[in-house]
Amino acid sequence: MARKKHIWIVAMVATFTWIAAAHSQSPDFKKNIYPVEQLKPTDSVLKVKVGGLAPDFTLPAVRGGKVTLSQYRGKKNVVISFVPAAWTPVCSDQWPGYNIAKEYFDQSNAILLGITVDNIPTLYAWTNQMCMGSGTLWFPVLSDFYPHGAVASKYGVLRSDGVSERSLFVIDKKGIIRYIDVHDINKRPRLEVLVKELGKLKK
Amino acid sequence: MNELYRAIQSNKDLKNKIKLIGIGTGNSDFEVDFFRKKYEVPFPLFSDEDYSIHKAMGEVRTPYFIGVRLKKDGSSEVFYSKLGGFTNANKFLKSMVKSSGL
Repeated sequence: MARKKHIWIVAMVATFTWIAAAHSQSPDFKKNIYPVEQLKPTDSVLKVKVGGLAPDFTLPAVRGGKVTLSQYRGKKNVVISFVPAAWTPVCSDQWPGYNIAKEYFDQSNAILLGITVDNIPTLYAWTNQMCMGSGTLWFPVLSDFYPHGAVASKYGVLRSDGVSERSLFVIDKKGIIRYIDVHDINKRPRLEVLVKELGKLKK
Repeated sequence: MNELYRAIQSNKDLKNKIKLIGIGTGNSDFEVDFFRKKYEVPFPLFSDEDYSIHKAMGEVRTPYFIGVRLKKDGSSEVFYSKLGGFTNANKFLKSMVKSSGL
């Protein structure tokens, strides 16, 4: 090696995955992610607004039991993350990002509720595979399966094909909606935007 | 990856000959910065928010490693291109050194 007169440089490009939007392409998911073509960015009409009271709901959680939004009233700020469907590309990237960014939620005394219209067994398998090698999800994952998409519909984020919008709702401790992002379904919302909104909340 | 970086830095024969960089596919600067701090990543990380690097690399699945030999005349040559991480940094480094012809 030392005899070489010139320098060789090995540049290794590691496209890391833990917060990358390419997590769905990682070995964690093997070949189980269903390919989705570009979809209409949004396909629903919001039924709630910033400044209004967030509609209450109770949904079953993947880890068992049920979660009711109003149980956090006066205790915690809440971020609701609806994602369209398990086993699809962008959704399989978004939650692993929130999973490693727990401190931002903690700093704002916020809980995250992840919701899809999939049933519990599907969500169980998907979230287990999502977290292979990186622990478990710290936030509850809720199933809005039956009556189908009832909560998504209540918020006005149920699309015409039966999946929910990729949407975020930031709700303060009083139950008031402080931020809404009905995102382009084809794209992952940037972490910094949510962090900024979390920073505006009272702890 | 941090272990790999430290293995390179602690070897005087390799220290100035091997550079390590990371690309955050689809990540914003903020996300990459957060990742860097959280995992105390000691080597440079770059964001690839618009997937332009990812596309140029052939839209590979991740993690993906590419070894590039930089020649004296300014040209470069890929000597390693493979999907998947590694569990033993020293073993990985040895194989990279061998296949690069360093």
